Amino acid sequence: MDNSSYLFAAFSITWSIIFVYIFRLFRTQTALNDQIYKIKKTLQNISDLDVADS
Amino acid sequence: MKRTQTLLIPFQLLTYVLMLLALYTIFIYAPVEKTMGVTQKIFYIHVPAAFLAYLAFFITFMASIFYLYRKDPKWDTVAHCAVETGIIFCTIVLITGPIWAKPIWNVWWTWDPRLTTTLILWFTYVAYLMLRRAVKVNQRANLSAVFGIIGFLNVPITFFSIRLWRTIHPVVITSRGLNMSEPMKLSLITTFIAFCFLFIAMLIGRIRLERSKMHIEELKEIMDGMNFKN
Repeated sequence: MDNSSYLFAAFSITWSIIFVYIFRLFRTQTALNDQIYKIKKTLQNISDLDVADS
Repeated sequence: MKRTQTLLIPFQLLTYVLMLLALYTIFIYAPVEKTMGVTQKIFYIHVPAAFLAYLAFFITFMASIFYLYRKDPKWDTVAHCAVETGIIFCTIVLITGPIWAKPIWNVWWTWDPRLTTTLILWFTYVAYLMLRRAVKVNQRANLSAVFGIIGFLNVPITFFSIRLWRTIHPVVITSRGLNMSEPMKLSLITTFIAFCFLFIAMLIGRIRLERSKMHIEELKEIMDGMNFKN
């Protein structure tokens, strides 16, 4: 391994770690936002039914 | 919440531009070091990553104190998220260090005080995350806060290890400032600023994620209450 290979390895590993972490954060955030939207919609439906019943 | 989201986009764009600028200074502007050659350029990510890991653990330390003082769950969230971000940067330090050491010291790893204390620091905060998963929810915040305060003792030990004990690890910051040429200094400062922005963006992203989780829990509780009523 020559010196530039070590440099390439260090930078590629660093950026891979950062990208994987940010990607994971982004995906989880999107999934949670979807979940929040679904729960809010369900709550809205329940409260609409309650109003209709009364 | 909406205002934070609006501010977050230009902040993330600025981080992106700064990261590109940092790469330019590292690979084009900064000169190649005479003894170590191009491998020395690892230094520009290794040092800022180390400082940001220390900063993250300092945030955990302060947030843990605030939590124990105020008992406000938001401080527990900040402490937890800072640990996770700090571990990311500490992992980068522990990976880039040996990659830099191999062509220079001819070994991947040596039980030098700085290397050993950094590894202990990493294990300490990994233990913090393991503790959070292992204990009951009602004990989690208190125990984590105590761990976050005690664990921080490792940070000054790690930082001063190269001054306290005999070591082969280079001392970059001396009493006379940064021990390097002007272009190298400027490249380091640029990379440091870019990494600071990246760190803040990652930490904010992680805190927002944790808040969304808490929001879901609240909504689920409301839903359970409504189901019970019906």
